[in-house]
Amino acid sequence: MKLKIDEQRCKGCNLCTTVCPYNIFQEGRKLNERGIIVPILDRPQRCTNCRLRHLYGRQLCGACQMICPDQAIYWVEEDPYSEESVVIEF
Amino acid sequence: MSTRVFEKWYREDRLPHIFCTGCGNGTVMNCAIKAVDTMQWEIDDTIFISGIGCSSRAPGYITTDSLHTTHGRALTFATGVKMANPDLNVVVFTGDGDLSAIGGNHFIHACRRNIDMTVICMNNMIYGMTGGQGSPCTPVGKISTTTPYGATEPTFDLAGLAVAAGANHVARWTSYHTKELTKAIETGLSTEGLSFIEAMVQCPTAYGRRNKLRTVTDMVEWMRTHSILLQKARRMEAEGKSIPEDFFTVGEFIHRQRPAMGVKR
Ligand SMILES: Cc1ncc(C[n+]2csc(CCOP(=O)(O)OP(=O)(O)O)c2C)c(N)n1
Ligand code: SF4
Ligand code: SF4
Ligand code: SF4
Ligand SMILES: [Mg+2]
Repeated sequence: MKLKIDEQRCKGCNLCTTVCPYNIFQEGRKLNERGIIVPILDRPQRCTNCRLRHLYGRQLCGACQMICPDQAIYWVEEDPYSEESVVIEF
Repeated sequence: MSTRVFEKWYREDRLPHIFCTGCGNGTVMNCAIKAVDTMQWEIDDTIFISGIGCSSRAPGYITTDSLHTTHGRALTFATGVKMANPDLNVVVFTGDGDLSAIGGNHFIHACRRNIDMTVICMNNMIYGMTGGQGSPCTPVGKISTTTPYGATEPTFDLAGLAVAAGANHVARWTSYHTKELTKAIETGLSTEGLSFIEAMVQCPTAYGRRNKLRTVTDMVEWMRTHSILLQKARRMEAEGKSIPEDFFTVGEFIHRQRPAMGVKR
């Protein structure tokens, strides 16, 4: 799975940057076309849900998605040949 | 396939919602919807009801039938719905002003009658929608447009009020405690009788801005650091220590089986 922020919904509150145990969300720097500074993702392939969702067959962690007041955080199925492959860190 | 938050329950065409950047109401909606989803309730059997206020806009973003009623009267409409058709699952979204100021009378009587519904109050300690007037929940010393030198009146303890008035399940959490809040709502949904869940939320626009909590994360951090578990507060009380000023308790206040009205036949 691949972690995404929907730029059409995000209002840039930065709550996601405070809850992720891996600090994947980092405060953004650039305004987008809607005038919002959307957080940037630092190596999102580390996300628990990205790595293990298929193994467990259910949503894992999800702290960022639950606290996001704008329902902007979601995951998409990953293209198996994309460059950001799943890396399991121990 | 993509995994959005509860696509089934959100009216995706209505999002993004009108809440300000970082408003806690959106988080409480996530928790409530997750709890409803866990209950495996059907869209057609569920109804969300609200009064007037920012918090009361929530049902408009949910796919089920909903009633957006008049200020303070969410519980009267909900009582009507539940008594007319007890088979419906009724969830009420309300604000601190809506529930405890103009709607205070209905609140105590709904608890007394113990009508089978779940009431989720998004307590931002202010009248958010109308620009930040003080509510019965604005803490002493805090600034609002109607308390420019700091509020002087004692506040309502909404959870305590619900316990005293007779609700079967009462809990308080904050929009920071998403896991606990979801669990508390879920327990509320599965409890017969009135379940009251007080969700403390950040209102960066009308409350935080005036009270030295300028950013969204400041306000959430304040709630995180100023909430005390009920068990701990009770222990402190037993030891004769007082809970520091500005702190509030979180946890499950009561869970009981008083006789209820409007329970599914
Ligand atoms: C009968 C009536 N009186 C007053 C108002 C104005 N009014 C609209 S919302 C509101 C307060 C809402 O406060 P709260 O319930 O705390 O909701 P919040 O916006 O903070 O979520 C008031 C006084 C109204 N709409 N109707
Ligand atoms: S919590 Fe949601 S709305 Fe807020 S910055 Fe993160 S993605 Fe954007
Ligand atoms: S699901 Fe958990 S680990 Fe993954 S990005 Fe969100 S908070 Fe971080
Ligand atoms: S005024 Fe406050 S309660 Fe209303 S939407 Fe804005 S932040 Fe939320
Ligand atoms: Mg309010």
